Amino acid sequence: MKQLAFSFDVNRCTGCMACVVSCLDQNDLPGGAVSFRHVTKLEQGTFPSAKISFMSLSCQHCGDAPCLMVCPTGAISKRDEDGVVVVDRNLCVGCYSCVLACPFGAPQFEYGTMTKCDFCHARIDSGMVPACVSVCPTHALGFGPIEELTKATKEKASVTILSSLLTAGSR
Amino acid sequence: MKQPGLLILGNGGAAIHAVSAARSAGYEGEINQVSDMEGPAFNPMLSPYYLKGIIPWDRCFPFGADFYFKHDVTCHFGSAVEKLDPVNKKVLLKNGRNISYDNCLIATGARALVPPVPGLNESGRIFTLRTAQSAKRLEEIISSAKKIVVLGASLVALKVTEILRKRGVDVILVVRSGHILRRSAHPVSAVLLQDYFSKQGVDIRLECSLKGLDSYGRGVTCRFPDSIIEEGDFVAVCTGVEPSVEFLEPGQIEMDEAILVDEKMKASVEGLYAAGDVCQGLNLMTGKRELLGLWGNACYQGRIAGLNMAGVVDAVHHGTIPQHVSPFFDWKYGQLGDVHRHGENVRILSGGDPEKEGFYLFVFDDGVLVGVNLINRFQGAGRLKSAIFRKVDFSDLVRGGFCPSYDEIIDRISFICI
Repeated sequence: MKQLAFSFDVNRCTGCMACVVSCLDQNDLPGGAVSFRHVTKLEQGTFPSAKISFMSLSCQHCGDAPCLMVCPTGAISKRDEDGVVVVDRNLCVGCYSCVLACPFGAPQFEYGTMTKCDFCHARIDSGMVPACVSVCPTHALGFGPIEELTKATKEKASVTILSSLLTAGSR
Repeated sequence: MKQPGLLILGNGGAAIHAVSAARSAGYEGEINQVSDMEGPAFNPMLSPYYLKGIIPWDRCFPFGADFYFKHDVTCHFGSAVEKLDPVNKKVLLKNGRNISYDNCLIATGARALVPPVPGLNESGRIFTLRTAQSAKRLEEIISSAKKIVVLGASLVALKVTEILRKRGVDVILVVRSGHILRRSAHPVSAVLLQDYFSKQGVDIRLECSLKGLDSYGRGVTCRFPDSIIEEGDFVAVCTGVEPSVEFLEPGQIEMDEAILVDEKMKASVEGLYAAGDVCQGLNLMTGKRELLGLWGNACYQGRIAGLNMAGVVDAVHHGTIPQHVSPFFDWKYGQLGDVHRHGENVRILSGGDPEKEGFYLFVFDDGVLVGVNLINRFQGAGRLKSAIFRKVDFSDLVRGGFCPSYDEIIDRISFICI
């Protein structure tokens, strides 16, 4: 089965938040508590060798998604054609099991049911790229079939993300 | 070469995922499945949502009735197992039928335990909440009951209490220990929850045990210490569960509280596997095999057992940690790991208001996160679980007089846990 994935190069991200804003816009989210993509800052070291890094994270559409496994209602599923993890909010009961299962903090709750990044599947089905990827000014964010991403970013920090999503669903 | 025949005892999450995993891995041999219940697999997690009116009855059966046809399973439903013969690899059902197997999964789950209190076991006016039948019975009871005594302070007890209060039934919650959720909640978190339940009209009796029960036509009289007597319509028994293994003879396979299994979900006898609430798998917090009673864990265990029984993949279950999350009225409560850790290197950080930004309680042992309680604050909860799994060291953040915020802890994990 084809598996789409995001790639992320921590050395390129400037923490500009364009990905977060474009995601909010694409998904008509008001901001505040519910956001499908989060940017986290990490400060390391002290002057004169201080370093600041940013990490942009959303649902990673894991190959073996733990949220899907623990969902008691079957509301979460993977699309056969591209491995994108989607949620049927009509089936969600708001039990929060997925929240504990996801190591990326992806599940969000709005009006009592779970919602999250759906890889902008309406856009990719139309031949476009996900909103967050399209606006990233430094090309820190990318996407594509996971085998191609792994090959292209073999020596980059983003490999750690890619490898983690293949194994995330073990517990 | 003829593939071995698989026999699945039980029809819950572990059983379903065992079948699904075996077929997904390409297993084409015969699969027989036995259950004492008729009908498709029931998810006991969902019955509270049905009883609260959130979902219709048919959605308590999330795998559907066509699962067995789609996975080419021969069903033997409506008949319990009478006897297991692991030497000859045969199972005798109560309806007299014999089924042979090469590999057998015991996934018969657990049943509600009724404690040995005088008058309790023989009473017709007690109920539990575990099976589809018990959910239907509770629904009937709610329609007429005015006052119910709930025994126990587990998650199930609190869910039953919430269901009853939401339907206008008066509840006395009888708690044997000093606080509710003795195993999953730190005392600080438990007090917050107790106050909340009290505000919902629940009469909580801490450090209280039922001494005896007198049942009559339309009600019960509960006798407590110090000659205290309470009248009610019914008693809800939510004092724990025991594995459903009545078909096993003593000494037949290695057991503690439940069936002991290795990382491949194998029991101590060749050809036998166990998964779900009937077995004790690895608790990563203690390094011991324990009964954890989690839906997701049962599903994972079933998958691993199914893959190994099918013989097409060598799969391993690495264990898990205690974890729960549950809505109570308008609150959400969660627990991860060990919140009762003691010792001179243990440090507890807590903060927040459940009614505002949400409450958190973190337990660190020598700088390593080992336990979490959350109330109405779940942003990044899965990252906290990852941090416990990976024994992430927060020493620089939590040693000395530093008191990092919830967000600082979560941000730290973002970079470490992927």
